[in-house]
Amino acid sequence: MADLPGYLHACLNTGKLASLAILVSGGIVLQILACALYNNWWPMLSVLTYVLLPMPLLFFAGSDDSIFSESDNSWVNFTKFLTGASTVGGIAIPSILKHAGVIGWGAFAMELSSYFVFGMAVICYLWMSGDDDYSIL
Amino acid sequence: MDLLELWAIFGPGVAGAVFGAGWWIWLDAVVCSTVTVPFLHYLPGIFASLAALMFNCVRKEDIDYSPYDEGEWRLKLWLFIAYVVSFVSLAGSAGLLIQDSLDKSAPSVWTGVAGVLQCVFVLICGLVYWTSHPE
Repeated sequence: MADLPGYLHACLNTGKLASLAILVSGGIVLQILACALYNNWWPMLSVLTYVLLPMPLLFFAGSDDSIFSESDNSWVNFTKFLTGASTVGGIAIPSILKHAGVIGWGAFAMELSSYFVFGMAVICYLWMSGDDDYSIL
Repeated sequence: MDLLELWAIFGPGVAGAVFGAGWWIWLDAVVCSTVTVPFLHYLPGIFASLAALMFNCVRKEDIDYSPYDEGEWRLKLWLFIAYVVSFVSLAGSAGLLIQDSLDKSAPSVWTGVAGVLQCVFVLICGLVYWTSHPE
């Protein structure tokens, strides 16, 4: 976007950030609704997977972008393995609760919607992180 | 960026997802079972995970395919034992499925099916992790 003015580019970046905030808030609202509408707080177990998901990246992979590159480092591959394993928990926990009869179809649908909204927020964040911050100047 | 490079980047994540799916299926069977699942039914999944770990402990460049020199027989023995453990765990889970379907007081058929699915997914996880490493 070389032809856009700098202030317009800054406005667009602020719009991206607002969209990201709306996505995260929507995910949190769906999660709370899945528990509060039915007065059944078992779906809060899914929050454990949301907390566990970034922890391998924090502890093992460091701050570089090796999660998206080919690597011979065993720690980076182990990080990817743990991230994939904890990603499945976000779908598995509502499915097991539904199969056991603890939650109904409405809470199950809201749980999965919350999970996919959070996933979309993470993907948008990673896509936003690829932008060059110096193109505003 | 071709498909092999994409597989090398995302393969460990896919392996982790398949591993998690296998164990979550087994946890679903244990949680939803009306009778207590004995510990014998846990063993095929544990041994399948152990086998997947065993044949991913091997570095690929150490495998010698030369027909002339005598290769690393310890490495090949280790891989052989890993494959034996994986196939025995798969056969054990199939045997437990047959037992669950025949015996009325045993856990339900879904427990046996989940055990077989768990072994299959855990072993697929080992294969995915193995194939995703660059040569």
